[in-house]
Amino acid sequence: MATATEAKKRMVRINGCVASAQAAKYADVDVIAAYPIRPYTATMMALAQMVANGELDAEYIVADSEHSQLSISHGASSSGARVFTGSSGVGVQFAYELYSPISGSRMPVQMMIADRTLDPPGDFGSEHTDALSTRDMGWLMGWSCDAQEAFDNHLIAYRIGEDPRVLLPQMVCQDGFFVSHITGDVELPDMGQVKEFLPPYKHPYPLDPRHPVSHGPQIMPEQGPPLQLERARAMEESMPVIEQVHDEFAKIFGRRYDPWVEEYMTDGADVVFFLQGAHAVTAKFAIQHMRDRGMKVGLIRLRTIRPYPTERVREVLSKFKVVGVIETNMGLGSVSSGGVLYSEVCAALYESPQKPLVFSFMAGMGGEAIVLKEFYWMAEKMLEVQKRGKIEKRTHWVGFEH
Amino acid sequence: MSTKGTQIPDWLKVPFAGITPAPTQEKGQDLFPTGNWRSIRPVYRDKLPPCNNACGTNEKIQGYLDLVKRGKYLDAYALIKEDMPFPSVTGRVCYHPCEQACNRGKYDEAISIRAVERFLGDLGQALAKDVVKAGPSNGKKVAVVGSGPAGHSAAYQLARLGYQVTIFEKSPKAGGLNRGGIPDWVLPQDILDREIERLVELGITIKTNVEVGKDVTWDQLKKDYDACVLAVGLIDPNSVRAEGEGKEGVHYGLPFLRDIGMGTSKVKLGARVAVIGGGNTAIDCAREALRQGAVEVTMITVEANPQEMPAVPEDLHDMMEEGVELMHGRAVTAVLGNGRVEALQLHPAKFSGAINASPITVDKQAKPERFAVDNVIIAVGQRASLKWLPDEFKTERGTIKIDRFGRLGDTNFFAAGDVVQLGSGQPLMVVNAVGDGKRVAFNLDKVLRGQKLEPRTIPVDVIFDLNRMNMTYFPHFPRVKQELLPPKSRKKTQEEVIQAYTEEQAVEEASRCFSCGTCNACDNCYLVCPEPCIVRDVRSNGLYKILVDYCKGCRVCIEECPTGCLEGVPELDFDTGVVRMDTAFAISPGLHGRQAQELKNLGDRAPKDI
Repeated sequence: MATATEAKKRMVRINGCVASAQAAKYADVDVIAAYPIRPYTATMMALAQMVANGELDAEYIVADSEHSQLSISHGASSSGARVFTGSSGVGVQFAYELYSPISGSRMPVQMMIADRTLDPPGDFGSEHTDALSTRDMGWLMGWSCDAQEAFDNHLIAYRIGEDPRVLLPQMVCQDGFFVSHITGDVELPDMGQVKEFLPPYKHPYPLDPRHPVSHGPQIMPEQGPPLQLERARAMEESMPVIEQVHDEFAKIFGRRYDPWVEEYMTDGADVVFFLQGAHAVTAKFAIQHMRDRGMKVGLIRLRTIRPYPTERVREVLSKFKVVGVIETNMGLGSVSSGGVLYSEVCAALYESPQKPLVFSFMAGMGGEAIVLKEFYWMAEKMLEVQKRGKIEKRTHWVGFEH
Repeated sequence: MSTKGTQIPDWLKVPFAGITPAPTQEKGQDLFPTGNWRSIRPVYRDKLPPCNNACGTNEKIQGYLDLVKRGKYLDAYALIKEDMPFPSVTGRVCYHPCEQACNRGKYDEAISIRAVERFLGDLGQALAKDVVKAGPSNGKKVAVVGSGPAGHSAAYQLARLGYQVTIFEKSPKAGGLNRGGIPDWVLPQDILDREIERLVELGITIKTNVEVGKDVTWDQLKKDYDACVLAVGLIDPNSVRAEGEGKEGVHYGLPFLRDIGMGTSKVKLGARVAVIGGGNTAIDCAREALRQGAVEVTMITVEANPQEMPAVPEDLHDMMEEGVELMHGRAVTAVLGNGRVEALQLHPAKFSGAINASPITVDKQAKPERFAVDNVIIAVGQRASLKWLPDEFKTERGTIKIDRFGRLGDTNFFAAGDVVQLGSGQPLMVVNAVGDGKRVAFNLDKVLRGQKLEPRTIPVDVIFDLNRMNMTYFPHFPRVKQELLPPKSRKKTQEEVIQAYTEEQAVEEASRCFSCGTCNACDNCYLVCPEPCIVRDVRSNGLYKILVDYCKGCRVCIEECPTGCLEGVPELDFDTGVVRMDTAFAISPGLHGRQAQELKNLGDRAPKDI
């Protein structure tokens, strides 16, 4: 197996795409399956350079489509390789056939997503629908909100996914442009830290011509359910592993992340935003601004959506009066007729004796930034609902209503 | 935790997360580690090519053609020598039943097998030392009576088996019919001499001028040798039983040819010669007559047309080219002349039953024809001279009585060649006598080693049907013709009429071979396998291996096998195999596993031969 160039801990100023590429390098991946689509392409460009100049010894395979990318990744992972791939937007959809087989055969492939709006008709901007549409395919999934977190999440996800108790693929997502193309300070670790944190990938039954085994043969109807049950178990049983790994990460690298939700200025808050990803950065600024003006507003950022931390979400959100879910995704005809986060928030809260009022905002759609005045508009809606004790409607389209 | 408290029954447990066992098997991964999609398994099963099957001595023709194709001439020569002691002879004289059987004949033109055989035979002639060695001596002595094709072949095989062989030959020179029955312009004497030398090199003793019954008796053979092969041939010419047949100027086919061959001929032919008979010896006599100075040679046959003549068509054609006339449907009823033949009396005649094998009906009522000639050569077959043989071993048709293994009763005497084949329906040809000699040698060896002689019971699969091959791989390609001397000049000389192939011609012709039903290492299966699960460690004939652990039974290699060697064999035919998915859905959980177990226990299926 290749060894990345030995490096000491250092600070660099890079964007999310390059941070992901750096993470793949530090994880010493064996196989990279690439196919270009904006905005994630920059990650593959950076990796291509690393492989070309000898910084990273990996098989860099340019596929002929995203479907092939994932097929290559499936095969490579089955043979025991640590695999890195990625995509954006419609590219994520094109590979759809492979998501269930990869998790079904329990191959810990890692896929980097830099979100992009799905067509029509070809908007470059970020929207989480691309990755979220695959959320029930058996992949571990969560969003980063900046380049440093993206870098860290890649290492953390490999460690979780490759744990023999888990063996599941991972989607490590970041907002297109807001993370992928915005430069920030990133601490690149000492190689020794990474080696301590992330042991080499070892599949117990790799495809090996000397020791033939079958992966994914045709099966009988009665053999399907136990496999599904096993996959469901793996997803549930990954939860303690996720917590343990975040703990170890904090010990080795000195950055502690709550694996499930990040709370920001929730002390004494009556109303909270609930969101994923990059808009948390602007949300935090807005909340600070509102708090300075006496508004009791806080933020809950969901860090891991699969497996969904139901208990944790209930426990955290039960403290508040009103929860405003910022979707940044499309759930056409869904429960709220807005996005897909709302229904899972509500479901998590259903058994809570103290239920906050929950409604959602369609904001940050199409890759538009959510600006300060829109946060104010949303916060006022939540405060109104708190005052009234009743929601006006389940979904508001921000920027399209008064 | 939705999965809390769930349990997976033992029979559905997976060996490891995500790794599915092959269905319907308790230990699927052990039995067939890459899944059980396959219902048929590709198996290399070489068939018998029709040429090998048709050859009187079952030469491995496809095998040596393939070796010639690859430039491995010495290996090809060694392969031919397993069944044929003198390819240089048969490469010239054989009536090549192999070429009649050749599947390529149905496609464009049959392979010119004889020409390639001659190429190899001549190569062997040029070797200072032959590739064939005598077997380690077993201390046993065998006498072979007769040095014609059958005796030669038997002696050769027996020497290879380790016997001390002595050949008794009546004539002053060894060779039998090869020498006495085949003219020089077909088989030059020095070629045959070299092949006789090869026998001596194998340690065989050849005693010429020794006649059985006169110089060596039955009892002596019995006493002095552990066993004996009688290959005395047919030496007494048949008569046409015509009035005045004893007149001067009347000759008989074989003695005529034999005396020329031995260099003892005193025959001087006149200008007009009639040859009586329609077989190959008659053709040789007619053509030899031209070379002995005859000007007008006419062949008179009972057969009504050339197609009925029991002759090799090319030889007939070459004879016609040389100017021999044919006269059909007539029998000689009298030889006219005053002490010396002047003319023949001919009557219309035909065979009373099957052509060439039934009494002749002569229409004596018809007006006889007078046909003026200076000489007559009668070539209507030969018979054996068996006065020395105990009566119990004589048949009614004047041949030696043998069992199906060529053995005379329970003695250690065996017989082979024309002396047993006459009237059997098998053409009396060199290659058949060679095959006979070979089989008798092996049978004799078994008897002397105390083994039981048993008829062959394994059926052979001869591939006659082009549909069993993939003909898209074989472009049409004409046969490489052998050059012939021009008819005008050749009929005056003893020079070989048919010319040898060059090396390039031999390779080109051998390359036309389909290798019917036989793996010739063409690599097609190796290239088309999508899995891929065909290994090619050693690139020589047949040495591919199918990794059945990986094969999905997609049939691509079978369909794309040009020669039809690869076959799809049902998986259930293998007793070690995995039971396949039989039905799509089970009506109760786990039913498939139980069904499969029951299927496996179905009766006692005999494992089939792979």
